[in-house]
Amino acid sequence: MRLNEIKKGGLFRVKNLNCCNDCVSRLMEMGLLPDQEIRLMHEAPLGDPIAVEFNGCHISVRLEDAAHVEVELISE
Amino acid sequence: MSKSTPSTRIALIGNPNTGKTSLFNTLTGMRQRVGNYSGVTVEKKTGTWSLPNGREVELIDLPGTYSLSASSLDERVAVDVITGHGLGQKAPDLVVVVVDVENLRRNLFLASQASELGVPIVIALNCWDVAEKKGLQIDSKLLEQRLGVPVVPTVAKRKSGTEELASEIAKAIETRPMLMRPQWPEAVQKAIHTLHEELVTKRGEKLREGELQRLLFDRKSAVSERLQSSAAEHEPIVKAARDQLYKDGFQPDAAESTLRFRFLNPLLNDVLERQAAMKKRSKSEGIDQLLLHKFWGLVVFIGMMYVVFQSVYTWAGPMMDLIEGGVGWVQGIAADALANTPMLQSLIADGIIGGVGAFLVFLPQILVLFFFISILEESGYMARAAFLMDKLFQWCGLNGKSFVPLLTSFACAIPGIMGARTIHDNKARLITILVAPLMSCSARLPVYLLLIGAFIEPVYGPKVAGATLFAMHFVGALVAAPFAWALNRTVNKGRKPEPFVMELPHYRVPQVKLTCYRMYESGKEFVVRAGTVIFAMTIVIWALLYFPRSTNVEELVTTAYTQELEAGALIDEDELSKRIDAAYLEQSYMGRFGKFAQPVFAPAGYDWKITVGVLASFPAREIIISTLGITYALGGEVDEESDDLRSTLTRAKWESGPRAGEPVFNIPVALSIMVFFALCMQCGATVAVIAKELNWWWASGSFFGLTAIAWAAAVLVYQVGMMFA
Repeated sequence: MRLNEIKKGGLFRVKNLNCCNDCVSRLMEMGLLPDQEIRLMHEAPLGDPIAVEFNGCHISVRLEDAAHVEVELISE
Repeated sequence: MSKSTPSTRIALIGNPNTGKTSLFNTLTGMRQRVGNYSGVTVEKKTGTWSLPNGREVELIDLPGTYSLSASSLDERVAVDVITGHGLGQKAPDLVVVVVDVENLRRNLFLASQASELGVPIVIALNCWDVAEKKGLQIDSKLLEQRLGVPVVPTVAKRKSGTEELASEIAKAIETRPMLMRPQWPEAVQKAIHTLHEELVTKRGEKLREGELQRLLFDRKSAVSERLQSSAAEHEPIVKAARDQLYKDGFQPDAAESTLRFRFLNPLLNDVLERQAAMKKRSKSEGIDQLLLHKFWGLVVFIGMMYVVFQSVYTWAGPMMDLIEGGVGWVQGIAADALANTPMLQSLIADGIIGGVGAFLVFLPQILVLFFFISILEESGYMARAAFLMDKLFQWCGLNGKSFVPLLTSFACAIPGIMGARTIHDNKARLITILVAPLMSCSARLPVYLLLIGAFIEPVYGPKVAGATLFAMHFVGALVAAPFAWALNRTVNKGRKPEPFVMELPHYRVPQVKLTCYRMYESGKEFVVRAGTVIFAMTIVIWALLYFPRSTNVEELVTTAYTQELEAGALIDEDELSKRIDAAYLEQSYMGRFGKFAQPVFAPAGYDWKITVGVLASFPAREIIISTLGITYALGGEVDEESDDLRSTLTRAKWESGPRAGEPVFNIPVALSIMVFFALCMQCGATVAVIAKELNWWWASGSFFGLTAIAWAAAVLVYQVGMMFA
């Protein structure tokens, strides 16, 4: 599953990141690394971008960039 | 400059939204200067600060960054300044890393990167109070021990902790404390060693270890751009080092984040204690439930933007009227006092005082906009607005942050272009600035009202007139969308976009002091830097309209006038002076140039009088109305509501040429003029502001580019219109 597909309410864990994407590099510098827990907070009115929460900070990411982050569901 | 800058330099660095600028303002007060780093549009803020021991230091407020990996211009500037390449000056003596307590781990990542560049560091733990309220406790002494540098809790807003910070800094300048650095794995050490051998030892590059790390870890490091050896020479070296690192089991792009956080995590054990549940965060989250709601979020957003727009468009009006009234009053006094010397009278009243008025009149709108921008940014809402709107702008290379500047441009492009500073991505900022003049600003309104009132309304009635006015406001935006897309495909080609990963910071109450300062700063900068250019332009246009001033013009008009009177014509008293003004304008340099250039505008249906009007309205679009007033011998005092001007325009006939005797103005001509003014860059002040925000190349490029687009559209409208007329 990828970060652009996650649903509200679930808690997810980062499995893998494609660090060749600039946005992903930026997310990694903000502390989004494998095993980090992450959840979806908001979707913009047009569905893109999304706001995710990890480590207490809320970050807006575009769907095309979020697709470079692989996650797994850990709890509904 | 006579004032000597202090020899000790301290740089402030930190993540965005850490209260770094607030701390900078608290420390330096009003003793600060704002400018640009040479060659780039990143704002450079420096100020003077006195330490308790009386020592004066120069404080540099670096742009807020998450990292030094230099993927954005802000980060490049930060790396350059810290390593002493930024200002042609030596590296700072000390770096103060401003750290937000709530995001300690992420903030220390930046501190750790900075430490690699070999500068002494002091850490300011900002927003201490907010963290305490939320039940977050930090053992700053333990953190200090672990990191090996002074850690000072501060609350920039309330000036608390600044004395402790000052005394720690004074000490640190002498003791030069270095932050603990990670023990890099052998593979990284080996790669760094190879780079050192190849670049520093063999090729004599002056690079610190931290800079070598940047070359190794960053996909395209800005550091490589200032190497002496050619790209062909150093690129293979860097690539080989990165390949080696990969072979040794570290993906170079991920290595730094992974390893540095692995180093930081144990240092933070027991330092951070979360007592109660995070109260404030849940408050911010609660607000976001409404403000980022798919429906209600949009409703609130539209409401807020309506207030911003109305304020710039309408509420700045009384202040602008006051300035215009004041300028008019001073002009009147000057005109009366200099009545005996007509040339001096015109130079001072129309040229100089008019020129000052020409830029002062924009000040209210700029101040009002920056009042709102400051509140939107300080409160944290600006990021939400960008989040809501981003999708609309993505496809043409812009992002959600373009919304506020472009919306404002519907009132006036000048505050809009200045407001584009809030866009961090330089590519998006460039395009936003270039399309901003296409948004239909309030100065176009008089032109629309005059022509619609004279030609559309009498023929088609008020409903069509209203619809035309509405449509004219969208012509620019319709052209802007493909224009932005095309610009993104051409001028931005090859430049990679900055990652649009944006933090949605906690909501905060904006500070009055900071807001006032933002307004003062933007106003001052506009007056000092753009104001002078606008003033100079006004004088030049005045001269073109005034000279040459041969006395026989007046004699000729007077003779003709007397003859008409003798022949029994009924002409009122004022007529003579109006005719003299018209005659002077006709033979002025501008008038001559208008006649000369008329063939260019002939395909759009313009006679020489309209052409002069178009050319003379370069300083500001609405000038065309008074110019038409003069060329049609009505005097310069007409406005768009003037019935005289409307009826004169409907009666105007071609004096010569193939269409002699036919009316000059018909509906296609009126539409063609409106479309021209909707798209052209007939606003000297906008050109000056673009030149200031970008450079003169972009300013003249956008002037000629938009004028060409406007001309082509005007010709198209006229030619198509004539087929149906």
